[in-house]
Amino acid sequence: MIRRGAALAALAAVVAGLAAYPGYASGYGVRATLQIFMWIVLAGSWNLISGLTGYVSFGHVAFFGAGAYTGAILVAKVGWPWLPAALAGGVAAVLLALVIGYPCLRLKGPYFAIALLGLNEVLRALVSYFEGLTGGGNGLSLPTLDATIPIYYAMGASAASVTLLTYVIITSRFGLRLMTIREDEVAAEAMGIDTARHKLYAFLLSAAGPGIVGALTARDQGYIEPISVFPLATTITMIVMVLLGGKGTVWGPVLGAVVLFVAQEVVWARYPYVHPLLFGAIIVAVVLLMPRGVLGLLQSRYRLPRTI
Amino acid sequence: MTTKALGAVVAAMAVLVGGLAAQAQGPIRIGASLSLTGTYAKLGRNQHEGYKLCEKDLNATGGLLGRKVEFVVYDDQSTPATAVRLYEKLITEDMVDGVMGPYSSPVTEASANVTEKYKKVMVAPLAATTSIFKRPPDKKRYYVFMVISPAEAYLEGLIDMAAKRGLKTVAVVNEDTLFSKAAAAGAVDIAKKKGMQVVFQEAYPKGNTDFAALLTKVKSLNPDIVAAATYFDDAVALTRQMRELDVSPKAYGVTVGGDLPEFYDTLKANAEYVYGATQWEHVLPYPGNHEFFGAYKKEFGHEPSYHSAAGYAGCLIYAEAVKRAGTLDADRVREQLLKLEMRTVFGDYKVDQDGFQVAHRMVTFQWQEGKKVVVWPDEMAPAKPRFPTPPWNQR
Repeated sequence: MIRRGAALAALAAVVAGLAAYPGYASGYGVRATLQIFMWIVLAGSWNLISGLTGYVSFGHVAFFGAGAYTGAILVAKVGWPWLPAALAGGVAAVLLALVIGYPCLRLKGPYFAIALLGLNEVLRALVSYFEGLTGGGNGLSLPTLDATIPIYYAMGASAASVTLLTYVIITSRFGLRLMTIREDEVAAEAMGIDTARHKLYAFLLSAAGPGIVGALTARDQGYIEPISVFPLATTITMIVMVLLGGKGTVWGPVLGAVVLFVAQEVVWARYPYVHPLLFGAIIVAVVLLMPRGVLGLLQSRYRLPRTI
Repeated sequence: MTTKALGAVVAAMAVLVGGLAAQAQGPIRIGASLSLTGTYAKLGRNQHEGYKLCEKDLNATGGLLGRKVEFVVYDDQSTPATAVRLYEKLITEDMVDGVMGPYSSPVTEASANVTEKYKKVMVAPLAATTSIFKRPPDKKRYYVFMVISPAEAYLEGLIDMAAKRGLKTVAVVNEDTLFSKAAAAGAVDIAKKKGMQVVFQEAYPKGNTDFAALLTKVKSLNPDIVAAATYFDDAVALTRQMRELDVSPKAYGVTVGGDLPEFYDTLKANAEYVYGATQWEHVLPYPGNHEFFGAYKKEFGHEPSYHSAAGYAGCLIYAEAVKRAGTLDADRVREQLLKLEMRTVFGDYKVDQDGFQVAHRMVTFQWQEGKKVVVWPDEMAPAKPRFPTPPWNQR
């Protein structure tokens, strides 16, 4: 209990520090931290579906892009303020997940992964096609607005929410059922778990976060285009972050996002020609040496609680 | 194990970064984020080399305002999101004295929001899209300056030459992205102004290399001219498939990609007679151009592209404005950039009140016996175009 209290106190201190950070940070500090929050949300959301149920989503960036376009259109064409537009981005992503997840998650095996990969490409083509609304290949430019600090807080709140949600799920019966599906789907069904429904719920929850941060990112950058919000590389990065930190854990995605992002900022920006190599090396090293990620490794060595 | 190694590298970097910061007082530091990896890597690296050569030349002639010049460059992986963060870093953490533009229109469009926020002058040498500079009054940008000709001008030469020789019908095809769309729209505009008839216009998605359906339609209309707003891969595929389907207009031109040596290497004889547009060629009689070509080749071991020359010239233009202003103060440098008229290795520079380029001219060339021969505009053209383009079986 004392250890638990100390951990909570440390967590509160970190949150307080991050909340006060924009008061004394440079513009870059705020923007970099904001993007770390974004990656925590993306990695944490991917972890909700793929880390917990084992259904690998290769198209999670589709929800990010859908949210980005929904938010950007509402701001640029309808004149909404950015905060409701961001929430609408989340709603749009969840609706999209419902449409794609309902048929796909009733199937077992690799169909889901393939379908999601396709979804991303389809969305990109659609966005390019409906030029009147989206600007097509020209992209969409939003009115100038300096809201980096409010967006920092919105991103931070999203990151905290996703992490808290993960904790709540992992410690609930719902989470246990999801993990049962991951370990043995047939057995889960035999135990009376409605697997299709559980997978769908997890999937819907995992789409909301990327939708919201997509819309926030669009507002913050002020310019989006199909190629910049639907890149496959973003999905791969969130997967690597989760694998590095530890899939199926609460803090794994957070750890992976922070470590990978900071490494990228500090090392890769200076050595552009070697960083794809380093990125590949990290993937290989993680898969070979610690398939359960840093936290998974610590859990097995030091008997840490499952709910870390 | 990996984390340990990573930690060591991080620590080493921290020392290095700290060391750089300690001696930062002396030189004028100019920051830029460039596409050194990712989709635009090839072009972004050339631009980087242009900046590096400019840095060297400035320092060889006494630097700027009596101080040395030093570039601080990061890699944005060809993504706007990273570039935005890097400009924020350059301005608020590295405290650079000035900035220069990144590569490509989309990245410039996103980065300009940051440089405007901090009131930093940004000469953007490789942004060709009009909408970055020409904006409605409530979104106006004050500190971003254009160096190259706008996308709309790329196909002007082809259409103009064809019009002078009495051709009447045009087919326009383009890739569906920011730059190519603008280039195609420009071609349509000019053709209409010259009283020509645009009989066909169609866009194809980025990365497309199968043009059979599109070319079948073009063939049935039999236009005098085919004007294609392309990048490299599509330019090659389109040309090859025109031969296969025997689509044989009297004049056929492409935009970006047609000027690379690889275009001819890949297509060989099929590239003959093809027109292309470029912002710059090393044979053009601009002051110092020949010397620039030689120095660049010597320094980097390969020939410069127009991206190299634009980067080099953009940096010199910024330096000239700083010299004339006698200060690095953004508003005073901006004033100088607005009234500056300058001729560099890249050609003419002059902008209007929006920072939009109005003096630089594009040239049109034609592949003739394996060489790019400049054929338009007339006053810069050493040779005449081989006109009309004969049918494929006679080339």
